[in-house]
Formats: sequence, C-alpha cells, structure tokens
Amino acid sequence: MDLRAELAALVLVVAACGGSDSGASTPPASDAGNRVFAGGVAPPTEHLENPFDSDTDAVLEGERLFGGMNCAECHGGGGVGFVGPSLVDGRWRYGGGDGELFRSIYAGRPRGMPAYGGILPDAAIWRIVTYLRSQPVPENVPTESWR
Amino acid sequence: MNPEHRLRSAASIGFVLSVILVVGAEAQQAAREDGQWTMPAKDYAATRYSALREITAANAAQLRPVWTFSTGVLGGHEGQPLVVNNTMYVVTPYPNVLYAFDLTEEGYPLHWKYRPDVNPSAVGMACCDAVNRGAAYADGKVVYNLLDGHTVAVDAITGRELWKTKIAELSIGETVTMAPLIIGDRVIVGPSGGEFGIQGWVKALDLETGRILWTGYNAGPDSQVLANPDTFKPFYDEGTELGLTSWAGDTWKLAGVPVWGWISYDPDLDLLYYGTGNPAPYNPEQRLGDNKWATSVMARRPADGALVWAYQFTPHENWDYDSNAEMILVDLTIEGTRRRVLVHFDKNGFAYTIDRATGEVLVAEPFVDVNWARGIDLATGRPQLDSTKLTGASRGNVENICPSLEGGTSPASPASYSPRTGLFYVSTNNFCMSWEATQAAYIVGTPYIGASIPYTPGDGGHLGAFIAWDAVRGRKVWEIREKYPVWSGSVATGGDVVFYGTLDGWFRAADARSGELLYSFKIGSGVVGAPITYTGPDGKQYVAVYAGIGGDWFLVAGDVRSDDPADVRPPADFMPDLARHTSQGGIVWIFALN
Repeated sequence: MDLRAELAALVLVVAACGGSDSGASTPPASDAGNRVFAGGVAPPTEHLENPFDSDTDAVLEGERLFGGMNCAECHGGGGVGFVGPSLVDGRWRYGGGDGELFRSIYAGRPRGMPAYGGILPDAAIWRIVTYLRSQPVPENVPTESWR
Repeated sequence: MNPEHRLRSAASIGFVLSVILVVGAEAQQAAREDGQWTMPAKDYAATRYSALREITAANAAQLRPVWTFSTGVLGGHEGQPLVVNNTMYVVTPYPNVLYAFDLTEEGYPLHWKYRPDVNPSAVGMACCDAVNRGAAYADGKVVYNLLDGHTVAVDAITGRELWKTKIAELSIGETVTMAPLIIGDRVIVGPSGGEFGIQGWVKALDLETGRILWTGYNAGPDSQVLANPDTFKPFYDEGTELGLTSWAGDTWKLAGVPVWGWISYDPDLDLLYYGTGNPAPYNPEQRLGDNKWATSVMARRPADGALVWAYQFTPHENWDYDSNAEMILVDLTIEGTRRRVLVHFDKNGFAYTIDRATGEVLVAEPFVDVNWARGIDLATGRPQLDSTKLTGASRGNVENICPSLEGGTSPASPASYSPRTGLFYVSTNNFCMSWEATQAAYIVGTPYIGASIPYTPGDGGHLGAFIAWDAVRGRKVWEIREKYPVWSGSVATGGDVVFYGTLDGWFRAADARSGELLYSFKIGSGVVGAPITYTGPDGKQYVAVYAGIGGDWFLVAGDVRSDDPADVRPPADFMPDLARHTSQGGIVWIFALN
C-alpha cells in the first residue's frame, strides 16, 4: 500500500467536496474567544462567515470529515471528549462561534490541536464547523450527581 | 515404599532444596540491600523487591502517613520516586518537573527543582495522558525523559542540566513516557507513539555525554532491527528479514511498535530485555502478516544493540494487546531443573515464564479471564485463536472480547516479586470490549487508529483485582478483589508485606503470603504510580507512593478532571461512579510505622 498516495487521494476527495466555494485560504485573525478587553473595547478582527449556515448536507459531510481527518481519534466519537476536550458540552476554551471554531481547526491550538489549514481547504473546515455547531448540548452539564 | 510415597519423598526433598536455595538467595539479597531505590524497578531484574523488614504483617496496621507534597501537576502520576543519598527525586507528568527533596531535614524541603522547557504540543500527541514513568540514577546523574522527545541528565547534587539529547521526533507522533534504564555507561530509552504510526525503536545514549550510540528498530529490515543472522537466534522463528517480510508491502514503515514500558538487564547473560507495543493501525486488515516484532519481547546486547532473540506474544495482534509490561528476571525450578527465566504479564491476559537465555516459553497460562485464545501452544509459541474474536474493518462490530485493551494488566502498573514467597504480585483489570474496526487514514501528526472500542465490565462484580501468581505452576495463589481496575504498581518487601494502591485512591498494605489486607489509607487521588520502600536517614523503613489518577482513566473516565471549565463530560457507562471517589491531583505520600 502506498500511504502517500492514499493520503493524497483523501486530500483530493476533501478538496473536491470543497468545490467551487473553497476559495483561497483565509489567514486567521486575532481571536476574540472569552477574553477581557482592555478599556472594554474589542480589537478589530476580520469577520469570518460560515458559508454553510446549518445546511444538512454540510453537517453530514462535516461528520464524515470529523472521522476521516482523525478528529474523532482525539476528541472521541461524536466529539464527546477523549484525549482532547469534549466538543459537545457547550463549553469552549477558545470560543465556540463559527469564526473561532474555524480558527482552532485552521491554525491549531497549544497542547496538541494540530493545524489543519495546510491540508484542508477552507470549505472542508467550514463543514466540520457546521457539524460541530449542529450537535445538541445536553441539559444539566454543570451538575454531576450521585444522589 | 510405595510409588506414591516415593514421589512425595522426592517432592519434599525438592521442597527442602528449593527452600535452601531461596534462603541462600534471600541472605544474599539482604546483605546487598542498601535501603535506597536507584533504578525504576529497584534492580536490574525489575523485581521491585526490597529486603527491608521493619514493616511486617504483624505491625503494618500501625502505618501512618508522615509527609505529603503536592506536585502542582494534575496529570497521571505513574512511575515511582528514586531515593539516593538521602535525597528523594520525583518526576512529574508534563511539564516534567524534577524535584529533589532533602530527607535529612524536617519537612523534607527541596534541595532544588528543575523545570525543563517542554513543547506543550506533546500533550496532544501523547495517546493516553501526558504521563512519565520516572527517572534512573547513576554516577551522580538523574536521567529521565521529557514528553516532547528529549532525554536529560541532571546533576544529582546541584540540579544543573548536564546534557539534553533529542531522541524522538514529535512532529511524527513520537513522544516519550518511559523510564530509562542505565546499564553501565549506557542509557536505554524508547518512544511512545503506537497510536501515531511511528516506527518504534530503542536507543542507547552515552551516560557521560548524552550522545546517541545506537538505534535498534522493532520492525523493518534486519539492518535497522540490528538482527545479524549470525547472532540473532529466535527460538521459534527461522529466516532473515522477519521484521520486513511479516508486514504486507511497506506497512512496516508505520509499524507503531513503541517502547513505553520497562527495561531489565541480566549482567551474566549481558542481555537487556524489553517488550514492544501494538502494531499500527488498530485495523489489522491494513497490515497483514505476523507484524514482527510488535507485541514481543526483545533481547539485545547493550554494547551495540544486537538482537539476540525475540519472541512474539501475539502474532498479527488484533486487540491493542501491547507487550510493554516489565520482564522480571528470576531463577525458578521448573520440572526439577533450575532455569534462568523472565516472567511477563501481558495485556493479552496470559502470564509467561520464558527461558531468558533462549526465548523458549516454559509456562503460559491466563491470569485473568481470556476468550480471544484458548491457550498458548508451547511447541510453536503461538496462541490458539478463537476465530470469532478476530477483528478488522470487514468483520464489523466484534463483541465480548476479553480482556479489554486496558489489558489483563496494564504495563503502566508493574508487578513485583518476592524471593521469600516465590510469588509475583500483579495488578489486574476485569473488562471486556467490543471492537469495531474502520479504515484508518494516515495523516502525519494525527492519530492512526481506526477502531471504536467500548468496554463492558467482566464477570464477578469487580473491575479489578490485586493477585499473587505462582510462575512455576502458572496459577493464581490469592487475590484481593477491588471495585475498580487496579492500575498501581506494587512493591514486595522482606517483611512479607506487599504495597499497592487503588484507582479510587486507597493506599494498601497486604500480607504477601495470605493476601490479607493489613492497612488502608485514602490518599487524595487515584493511584496509578508504583510504591517504593527505602531506609530514611533515621534508619527507619519508609514507603512512598504517588496519588494522581490519570493515564487511560483521564481519557475514558473524563469526569475525573475539574481543572478545565470547557471540558465537562458525563461518566463512563461501564464505571459510572469513579468520580464520586477521586479527581485528578498529584501528591507524593510517605508512610512509616507510628
């Protein structure tokens, strides 16, 4: 088996599903996240808009990419948390908005989240974002009770 | 004299002889006992036995905690401290701080602490929590590995860094969690990364300079495996290029086969021994063949790394049954003959007693419930498989495989051996699993796995046990059942007391002969480290152990963390109440008699 060829094929598939709306890569701007703003004023950031909104096909394709790009191997099947944190608890280290999720996947994060911007076209990242944003947040996350 | 009587007489003469041999060996060991702990597993033979005997079965109930220290780190505190020249050395999980405590002063203040610059990306590249299994001491140096792929030597007196060598390539998924072993002037190290498609290896570094002297791969061509046909004589295999031809195509390049467990050494045979981990990926259909030398024991020469023999416990491994658990080197009388053996408790659920000069398997019996194989054929060395338990992407979801990938025992929880009782003391897990393999995609820097593997509790209503094992007969002598999987190492002592810890945070002392529980104390977090014992400056016997749940339980019981408000998970369905009893947190504990 030629693994390089296999990876190249996978990236091609991903690029193909990106289609015409993949466009040029967008460099990540500064993160808003859950930050405190000095003087109460947020710095100007580039606004990143998800082209898919909550498109059902994008959700399904994003789910497939979540498995195929090995996201589930760290974050668990369905993003329930494993080596990496849960992605379905409604809590976010680096912000849970569309643009913040895009930046986390595109540029990576400290402590091991790899940057996928080099091998995934923007549209593929947006589909993963769309999938994650479609996941329901369970009720009563803050409390774990044994009584 | 009837034949039966003759047999009994012969047996009792044999018994008397073996008692004399044991007593002789024990006297030697007691004479050698210096009350220190300078190697990860106490000695080259990896026995984790100390001849200290102030603490006995009669007085162990009077144990009390005498000192604690928070390491300030939350990851799984595997491994053990060292005690050398009245100083205790403690390595933490990432960020791999090294503490040196002065045991001669009240309250054991620090001589120094060493805080290396470790790449935080390594945390996400480590498959199973950012653990570290400890340091080794020799020649005034404390030597240990950093998660991001470096080995460091630190001056034991001053805490100054003497050398730092890059041994592993983090960008391709190589991290380092194992404890090195120092053999003469060589430091032996190896990588984790079986879940990232690395090509596993061991390296020897020069103790003085840190220079890499040789690298021996665990899979690949003979030239990389260091298998010279003139000197490599496996007991069950013939031919050359076995590390190449037992892999379909070029799959050996992403073999996995990491070295994250323990190394032992026999000075008489001049052989070092270690176990190798799983082949990659978890979908076995992507790597047809035996996949040598994954899930194997390797015997090499420390001088040049030459492979002398190897034995594969689980050919074409299907279930993540790594063989990284320790190889304990002891001499046992088997069928009337004194044999130099190594004893190994494999994740696959079998305990092996193997001639350590040749690699011949002498005894192989299950020490936990096993259903993937009916037994081990001693003529071929191969397991007798149950074909319904084989896995692969074309086989769908294969249910009820025992043991689970946590193993019958985890290599993270090394066993101990007492020459006084002739028994091995082993922490065990009681889980089964389902295995649904899928096609894995290799993307460098991301996991290369391809399987979904939920656990189910094994039979009996307990998830683990601490057992005593007779490696001559291949049978369990006693067991202490525990509510949760037992993931601590153990230490056996000349006072016939054996120490271990539980996942819900109990430190325990048990009678090494009967398995009777003598003492328990709740130590603040689950125990995944290995207790040690030593003599303090005051001449008293002390026992030290880490609290600090982690390792796999950080991943699969995600509710034992409390430090990250952005990571809140429900409890694991197979173990819904562990977090009721423990959360993360690293603490060093020391116990002594009142």
